Amino acid sequence: MAKSKELNNRSPLVRDIVRHRAVYALLAIPLAYYIIFKYVPIWNGQIAFRDYMALDGVLGSRWIGLENFRTFFHSFYFWELLRNTLMYSFGKIVFSLPLAILLSITIYECRRTRLRKVVQTLTYLPHFLSWVIMYGILLVLLAPGDGIVNDIVKAVGGQPVDFLTNTKAFPWIVILSDAWKEMGWSAIIFIAALMGIDMSLFEAAMVEGANAWQRVRYITLPSIAPVIVTVLLLRIGTILDAGFNQLFMLYSPAVYSVGDIIDTWVYRQGLLEFQFGLATAVGLFKGLIGMLLIFLSNRLTRKISGSSLF
Amino acid sequence: MAKKQHVIKGTAVRLTGADRSFYLLVDIFLWVMLFIIAIPMWSTITLSFRPNDFIGTNIEGMFLMPWNWSTAAYKALLGNNGFIMAFANSLKILVMGVTCSLLLTIPLAYVLSVQTLPGRKWLNILVIVPYIFNVGMIPSYLLVTNLGLIDKLVAVFLPGAVSTYNCIIMRSFFEGIPGELKESARIDGCTEIGVLVRIVLPLSKAIILTVGLFYGVSFWNDFFHAMLYLNRNELQPLPILLRNILMASGMNEYVEVNAFGEAPIAAIKAASVFMSAIPMILAYPFIQKYFTKGTLLGSVKG
Repeated sequence: MAKSKELNNRSPLVRDIVRHRAVYALLAIPLAYYIIFKYVPIWNGQIAFRDYMALDGVLGSRWIGLENFRTFFHSFYFWELLRNTLMYSFGKIVFSLPLAILLSITIYECRRTRLRKVVQTLTYLPHFLSWVIMYGILLVLLAPGDGIVNDIVKAVGGQPVDFLTNTKAFPWIVILSDAWKEMGWSAIIFIAALMGIDMSLFEAAMVEGANAWQRVRYITLPSIAPVIVTVLLLRIGTILDAGFNQLFMLYSPAVYSVGDIIDTWVYRQGLLEFQFGLATAVGLFKGLIGMLLIFLSNRLTRKISGSSLF
Repeated sequence: MAKKQHVIKGTAVRLTGADRSFYLLVDIFLWVMLFIIAIPMWSTITLSFRPNDFIGTNIEGMFLMPWNWSTAAYKALLGNNGFIMAFANSLKILVMGVTCSLLLTIPLAYVLSVQTLPGRKWLNILVIVPYIFNVGMIPSYLLVTNLGLIDKLVAVFLPGAVSTYNCIIMRSFFEGIPGELKESARIDGCTEIGVLVRIVLPLSKAIILTVGLFYGVSFWNDFFHAMLYLNRNELQPLPILLRNILMASGMNEYVEVNAFGEAPIAAIKAASVFMSAIPMILAYPFIQKYFTKGTLLGSVKG
């Protein structure tokens, strides 16, 4: 009784906080985790503006302002990295998004239950395989000496090609292998949207005499158009992430000119050449642009579909 | 009844020529997709079973009959200490990582789902900011180095132990649990931890499994953190070993795989690819059941 009286004397906010003290207690460890593992790295990001020396530490290193950023923007690889990054991001959107839409519509329309189930099951299995495993599978297909594709090339009288070290073939390998790995997974969200289409629309169309093509053109596609736009916008929001794990596994010095993206370059500069300040500056630059793009695409998504990520 | 009636999307219709060509093309497209997906997988699997004395092209190799299969590559891998050790390390990372991730994510998601909590909005911002603003790999690398975690298995899973995305999915699920259930438990004298353990968790098995699988897949597949933070050979997980095996042009380059005399090098490479994928393939039925739901939950609400 005395305790509750004491509580009542405090302001409503304090009372509310006290009432939830057990909830805050649950928060203690996750919060500490967030501060250490998510916010200390952001704090460490300041070495982008310093001449970082491991011995001096983050705070002890000399401030050099925007020197690191200047070095990067003026270097010849800046445009190359930006070009490669955008080439892979857009290439993947252009190839895998229509493929995923096509796959989802055909799976939805297919009248053979077993075929539909098998395709659906198999197409999204590769999403769960790592790029190391994918590299192994690609070697089986593409190896210069004994890969299957080169067997075919030789059979039709061509010269075997080492696809993974050929600057012409490499970008296609990257884009197509990503389409192979991710198309089934990307199709899931469209399939879910298709499942939500009101059946009476189809019934009405069929009564009016619309054939299957017309039903796809005038009912199915318009029904999932907002989802397509949303997915497209979300992909554009992460346009600077061209796929670090994939390129890191597949590229080699022979194809750096077409295979090096911002993330792989940051890795090599920072962790192999120990240019921590420069690499962090580039990472920070990418992070800032990425943040702007996410806000932009999120705002547009909300306008179009009424829901958004946050 | 001159023509057969077909039922399409609940409506009985007669198929016209245009309809027939449409459904035929749909079937052809799906068959083509099936082959495009299956051929690379099948050729990897058959390659791993190829005997040392196999003569013929790789295309012929794909039609190798199971009674001609050789398990030499698998025997060689399973008899190799390096491989067993790497497999064990990967399992350790998987189990410790998923446990640690769930122990951090569940309370965080629960707290964020308590609607009446003062400061909830700020906590949400605190969780979202690092998700949106990514400063890149170097600052995290410095942190792990400064904490002295180099050459410790925790370095592989701790920095990525909480994924904001998973946390948001879980929060959405917790928010969907009727508030009356939690309220009545509180009135009955249940503490907040009691509400979480007795009311919320038993109702959330599906989402915990989904998120656990999400984490499990990412830890099992991770090679980048292991490459950054683990230098000692005896700590290396499977993806790193697999990468070394695949990158070695001849097996002699890879000292520990030296002993594999019985099987062709290509078969060993293919077998190690398949072995690394096995846990994912075994978990796949569960993944199929829960992942789709979880992903859709996250994409619809959040």
